[in-house]
Amino acid sequence: MTRTLQAEDVAFAYTPPVDVFTRVTAVVRSGEVTGLVGPNGSGKSTLLRVLAGLLRPREGKVLIDGRSSAHMSHRHRARILGFLPQMVNPVFSLTVFEVVCLGRYPHLGALGSTQPHDRVVAERCLRDTETLDLRDRDFMALSGGERQRVLLASVLAQEPDLLLLDEPTSALDIHHQIEIFALLKRLAGEGYGLGVVTHDLNLAARFCDQLLLLSHLSPRLVAMGKPEEVLTESLLSEAYDAPIRVCRHPLTGAPLITAEEPAEAKP
Amino acid sequence: MTRATRASAVVGLIALCLALVAASLLIGTENLSLGRIIAEWRSGEPLSKTPALSILINQRLPRTLVALIVGCGLTLAGCSFQALLRNPLATPYTLGIDSFGAFGAYAATIYGGAGGWLTFQFLGFSHVQALAFAFSAFDVLLIYAMASRKTRMAPSVLLLAGVTLGLLASSGILFLRYLARPEQLINMDRWLMGGVDVIGYEPVITLFLGVTPCAIILLAQASKFDQLGFGEEMAAGRGVNVNRLQLTTFLVCSFMTGIIVSKVGPIGFVGLIVPHAVRTVTGSRHRILMPASLVAGGACLCLCDILARKLMTGETPIGIITSLIGAPFFLYLLTRRRFTDWET
Repeated sequence: MTRTLQAEDVAFAYTPPVDVFTRVTAVVRSGEVTGLVGPNGSGKSTLLRVLAGLLRPREGKVLIDGRSSAHMSHRHRARILGFLPQMVNPVFSLTVFEVVCLGRYPHLGALGSTQPHDRVVAERCLRDTETLDLRDRDFMALSGGERQRVLLASVLAQEPDLLLLDEPTSALDIHHQIEIFALLKRLAGEGYGLGVVTHDLNLAARFCDQLLLLSHLSPRLVAMGKPEEVLTESLLSEAYDAPIRVCRHPLTGAPLITAEEPAEAKP
Repeated sequence: MTRATRASAVVGLIALCLALVAASLLIGTENLSLGRIIAEWRSGEPLSKTPALSILINQRLPRTLVALIVGCGLTLAGCSFQALLRNPLATPYTLGIDSFGAFGAYAATIYGGAGGWLTFQFLGFSHVQALAFAFSAFDVLLIYAMASRKTRMAPSVLLLAGVTLGLLASSGILFLRYLARPEQLINMDRWLMGGVDVIGYEPVITLFLGVTPCAIILLAQASKFDQLGFGEEMAAGRGVNVNRLQLTTFLVCSFMTGIIVSKVGPIGFVGLIVPHAVRTVTGSRHRILMPASLVAGGACLCLCDILARKLMTGETPIGIITSLIGAPFFLYLLTRRRFTDWET
């Protein structure tokens, strides 16, 4: 099902009246990977949580297909929207399959028992994320890359149409980063809508269909659009308040971004 | 562990519990034999002429039932707090509930008693029990207030707050002891050691009516506690109303432990170690863990009560026994399990 998740002119404050951001508009659509990028403290993760409905905006609205998400029940929203926080570790030791089955929660009855159908869905999600061979392993014993894929499988088991992921590749090496983003790209091709917070502008340039660039100075939206439109030297330098250089990646042709060293302070 | 071994472990647990209940009914200062009880029951004589049957019905049975209910309740509360606060040390006892209850009971003993202005009976509760309940409930509500503030406290900080509140109550108790008359001290100290040595069915009924609905509500949250294992945000993203779950758990646990503490005094370590011990057998899914802990908790306190009766001539307070067994056992568990997995 084609969905649109939209934040309209939202403002959010953890401790009013200090706003993290004001008047930000963001859209996550089915079939696209939307990247949320910007410097530390620019409110990317906060915006993602506002989109996910976990934080309530001080101003503005969050709409799912034009309807306000604030009025939806938690479970109903969880069947449309999957959310994966950064670096989650379980308290209890669970097998990979049990972890993925946890994702079925919004579909279960009052007593929360999984039916054969739920286990079929969980198996399918393991297969989709290429983690079926890990099925009976202890989740805690997995490597970082394996864990992230299993967690992705558990969010997919919610059978949401939209996925919101907070820095899914932050703890991974360069190979596993590409692997996860390639998987996200494939999911978008299958019709999922993805919103991904990331620090890695080069990955964002290569894998995202849309980008939102936030700035930390006066926390706000700097630019929104296709990677080539957003990842320009002038916009990035404004957002990061530092000289940023952009060239072309010799192999992929995507924008290649690097920051200049700060000029040394002269005595 | 496979499903089959887990299932057989649960069956074994239930069998063990039943065996302990039977033992608890028969073992005591005077050991009763099954043959004698059946013979007395068949004779049709009134209870006053059948000593064994009379002991069984008026003393052993209510006492065993109280031990069962209290064990179930404390374990379930411990299990729920551990899941809610994502901390292996979270139990009613470590959150200071028992200490506050004891403080209430001490205050009631001093200002109640013969001719005191604080003497009353209400719904089968004496002023001692009512004050113990009120103070233990107050402690949990205080912790809940800290947990639900806008700037949320981390679970480990909450636990620290609970421990601090417990210390506060302990110094309050010392102060009350200083104020008390020597003859009051004996009663007070006995209360502090906990005991399920009830006579008659009034406490059984109160405890049953108080604990059963709470236990049902907590058991119904099992799948939500599973979700909390990956953190509050993940649970919220999955559709769990985390705030409501917190409120429910805190209210229900405070009511339940309040009732228990007010009736039998503080009994530590049961709520701490039983869920951990059971977790090593059943795994961590609360839909299995919680019912299994419930059974094991009842069995554990039955066992402690048997020891309380048989360890010395006369009674040993059960609170002392649970601590003497519980503390070393917990230390053993600490060395075995990787508690670093928990958010501390």
